[in-house]
Amino acid sequence: MFSFTRRVMLGVTAASLALSALPAAAQDYPSKPVTIVVSYAAGGGTDAIARVFAARLEEALGGRVIVENRPGAAANMGTDVVAKSQPDGYTLLIGNQGPMVVNPHIFKLRNDPAETLDPIAMIADAQLVVVAGPSLEVNSMQELLEKAKAGELVYGSAGNASASHVATLLLGQMAGVKLKHVPYKGAGPAINDLLGGHVDFMVTTVPSVIVLVQDGTLKALAVTGKERFSELPDVPTVAEAALPDYSASAWYGLLGPTGLPQDVRDKLAAATAETLSDPAFIESLQKDGGVPSHLVGQDFADFMAAERARWGDVVKAADIKVE
Amino acid sequence: MMAMFEHLGLGLSVAATLQNIFFCFLGCLIGTLVGVLPGVGPVATISILLPVTLSLDPTGALIMLAGIYYGAQYGGSTTAILVNIPGEATAVVTAIDGHEMAKKGQAGLALGLAAIGSFIAGTIATIVIAALAMPMTRLGLLFGPAEYFSLMIMGLVLAVVLAHGSLVKALAMIVAGVLLSCVGADMETGRERMTFDIYMLTDGIEFVVLAMGVFGFGEIFKNLADPEKRDVMRGKIGRLLPTLTELRQNLGAILRGTGLGSVLGVLPGNGAILAPFASYALEKRISDRPQDFGTGVPQAVAGPESANNSGAQTSFIPLLTLGIPPNAVMALMVGAMMIQGIVPGPQVIQNSPDLFWGLVASMWIGNLMLVIINLPLIGVWVKLLKVPYRLLFPAIVAFCCIGLFSISNDGAQVIMAGIMGLVGFALYKLHFEPAPLALGFVLGRLLEEKLRQALIISDGSMTTFVTSPLSLGLLLVGAAALVIAVLPSIRKSRDEIFVED
Repeated sequence: MFSFTRRVMLGVTAASLALSALPAAAQDYPSKPVTIVVSYAAGGGTDAIARVFAARLEEALGGRVIVENRPGAAANMGTDVVAKSQPDGYTLLIGNQGPMVVNPHIFKLRNDPAETLDPIAMIADAQLVVVAGPSLEVNSMQELLEKAKAGELVYGSAGNASASHVATLLLGQMAGVKLKHVPYKGAGPAINDLLGGHVDFMVTTVPSVIVLVQDGTLKALAVTGKERFSELPDVPTVAEAALPDYSASAWYGLLGPTGLPQDVRDKLAAATAETLSDPAFIESLQKDGGVPSHLVGQDFADFMAAERARWGDVVKAADIKVE
Repeated sequence: MMAMFEHLGLGLSVAATLQNIFFCFLGCLIGTLVGVLPGVGPVATISILLPVTLSLDPTGALIMLAGIYYGAQYGGSTTAILVNIPGEATAVVTAIDGHEMAKKGQAGLALGLAAIGSFIAGTIATIVIAALAMPMTRLGLLFGPAEYFSLMIMGLVLAVVLAHGSLVKALAMIVAGVLLSCVGADMETGRERMTFDIYMLTDGIEFVVLAMGVFGFGEIFKNLADPEKRDVMRGKIGRLLPTLTELRQNLGAILRGTGLGSVLGVLPGNGAILAPFASYALEKRISDRPQDFGTGVPQAVAGPESANNSGAQTSFIPLLTLGIPPNAVMALMVGAMMIQGIVPGPQVIQNSPDLFWGLVASMWIGNLMLVIINLPLIGVWVKLLKVPYRLLFPAIVAFCCIGLFSISNDGAQVIMAGIMGLVGFALYKLHFEPAPLALGFVLGRLLEEKLRQALIISDGSMTTFVTSPLSLGLLLVGAAALVIAVLPSIRKSRDEIFVED
C-alpha cells in the first residue's frame, strides 16, 4: 500500500517537474478556446470526424475546442484561413486528402498547404469500397476489370477530384482500362443513380453504402485499403483481388499554420495521441468507416509529401488539371 | 392496410410518450424560431445541436431533429409572407402571393392557410410514408440524369407561368437565373467560370445570398424609397384565421399541392424544391381567375405551402428505405443516427421498428404541434407589421446579416447579398419579377449537372432524352405548357395584366 502511494507520488512529482520545465507559453496553453477549422459545410464526413475528434481533444487538452466550418473555394478556403492565422495554436485545421494533396495539382492555390501549413499529427484513415450496381452482373473485382476491358464502364463519383474520383482513376490506370467518369455533387445522388442502374459502379466511403451492401442491394467487390475492413470481413482488398500494389484511402490529420512553437505542437501531438487511444473515439471513428492512424510531425509531413507525389501522377495521367 | 395501421399504432405509442412529445414540441419550437429568422436555416441549427443529441435516447433525438426540420420549413413561410424574405428556395413561391395578401391586410389568413394546409399535407404525407415507402423509393430510382434533366426543363417552362407580367421579361429573368447558377468552378474540370478571379465566387453564389439580396434587401430598398405606399398597406391587419368557407375554397389546392409534393419529395438531389413551383403553376392553370395570381390569391399560398410540407416529409423516404440522404438536412440526420449507433437504411424497420414507426408517427404529431404553436402565434407575428418601419427594417437587416454570415462564417456573403439587393431594387424599378430569377437559379444548377451527366453516359447523344419514355413524357408536358403559354389569346390576357401593373 505504502509503495503504491509512493509510486503515485513519484509519478506526480515527475509530471510536475516535466510541466515546470516547459516554457510559460505551453504551460498556459490552452488559455482560451481552440478553433479547429473544417473546410467543408457541416454534415459531411470530414465534419463528422472533426466533431468527434474535437469533443475528445477537449478532454485531453483541458480547454474548449470549437469546430468552425469554413467551406468555399473548392475546400481551399479552410487552408487559407489557417495559413493566414497567428501561429499560436489557437487556430488549427483538419486537413484531408483533397485540399492537402490533390487540389495543389488541380487548382491555382493562394496558399500551398505544403509551405504554409505545419503538420501536427495524422488522426485517421478511412478506406473506400468498390461497389457494383444491381444491374451490373459481376461478382468480383476480376470480373469488373474484365468487363471494363470488354467495353467502357461508367462510374459515378462524389465529385471532381474527390477521394472517390481519384481512387477510381488510380484503379483504371493500374488495370489499364478506360472508364467513363460521371461526377455528382456528393456521394448520395451518385449512389442513387448506381441503385437505379444509371451508372455501373462506384468507389465510395464505407458508411455511405454499408447498409446497402449488408442487405445485398449493392455488391461490395473490394475495399481500397491495405487491410480488410472489420465491418466487411468477407470483402477482399483490391490488392488481394486484382491489383497487388493498389491502395487508396481518405485520411485526416491535424495541421496548424507554419511557425507553431515547438512546445505547443508537442502538447497538441500528445493530446492527439491520447485521443486516438480512447476506445470511445475509436468506436465512433469506426462508425464513420475509419481507423485511428497515428503519425506525428515529420512522419506525417513525409506521408503527405508521398501522397502528393502519388496523386499528382494519377491526376496528370488523367489530365483533369485546370489550366 | 391493417398492417399499416398496426405500425402507425406502434409508432404513436412510442411518439406519444410524454418525453417524446416534449422533444417533438421542443424541435418544432426551435425549428419555427430559426425558420422565422431569415438566413438561419435548419442545417446550421441541426449541426449545432448534433452534439446535444448524443445524451438523448435515439428516438427522442431523431424526433427532435425532424421537428426542427419541418418546423423551419413552416417558420420560413412566415417570414416570406410577412416581410417578403424567402429564407429557402421553397418559400419563394409563398412570398409571391403571400406577401401581397399581407399587404392587403390578409396576413392572418395567409398564415392560417399555410398552417392548416401544411397540417393536412403533413397528415397525408405521413400516411404515404407508412403505406407507400417502398414503391415511392422505386419511383425515385427511375429518375436518372436524363429523366431529371427533362423534369427540370418542365420546371423551367412552369417558371414562365409564375410571372404575372410580361412573358418576355419573365423569360429574361429565368435565363439570367440560369446564368447566375453557372458561376463558379466547373463540375467536371474545376475550371472557374464567370468568377472574374473573385475568390468568393469560386464555389458559386449561395441561394440564400441571392434570395436575401434580391428579395430581402431589395424589398427594404423599395419600402424606403416608397414610404407612402408602405404606410397604406401597413395599417391593416384583418382577420387572423380563415373561415370554414375559405378553408373549403382552398381544400382542392391543398390536396393537389400535397400530391405533387409527395411525389417530387422522393426524387434524389432535392426534387422537393420543384414542388411549390409546380403547385403554383397547376393552381394558376386550373383557376378561373389566373390573371389575379401574383396579387394575393389564397390558393397560391395554400397549394404551394402544402406541396412544400409534404415534399419535406416524403424526402425522408430515401433516407429511411435506402439510407441515402437526398439533401443537406437529411445528411445531418444520417450523422445524428450514426452518433446514436443506428445506421440508416432498410434494416432500421426490422431491427428497431419502434424507432422507425415512432419517427414516422412523430411527424404527424409534429405537424399537429406546429398548428398548435403557430395558430396562437399568428396574432403575434402579424403585430410585427405594426412595428414602425424605422425600427423594423434595421432589425430585419441585422438578422439577415447574421444569417448570411453564418453560411460560411465569412463576411463575403454579406457583401454579395448587398450587391444583390441593389440588383433586386433595379429589377423592381424596371418591373422585372424576381421569382422566375430565383427559380431559374435553383433549377439551373441541377439542369446543367444532369444534362452533363446524361450526355457523359450517352456518349454525347441527345437521343437519350427521348428514348426514355419517362423523359419523353416530361418533355412533352413541358412543350404543351409552353405552347399554351405563348398562344395568342393567353398572351393577350397577359398583356392586359401588364398594363394594369
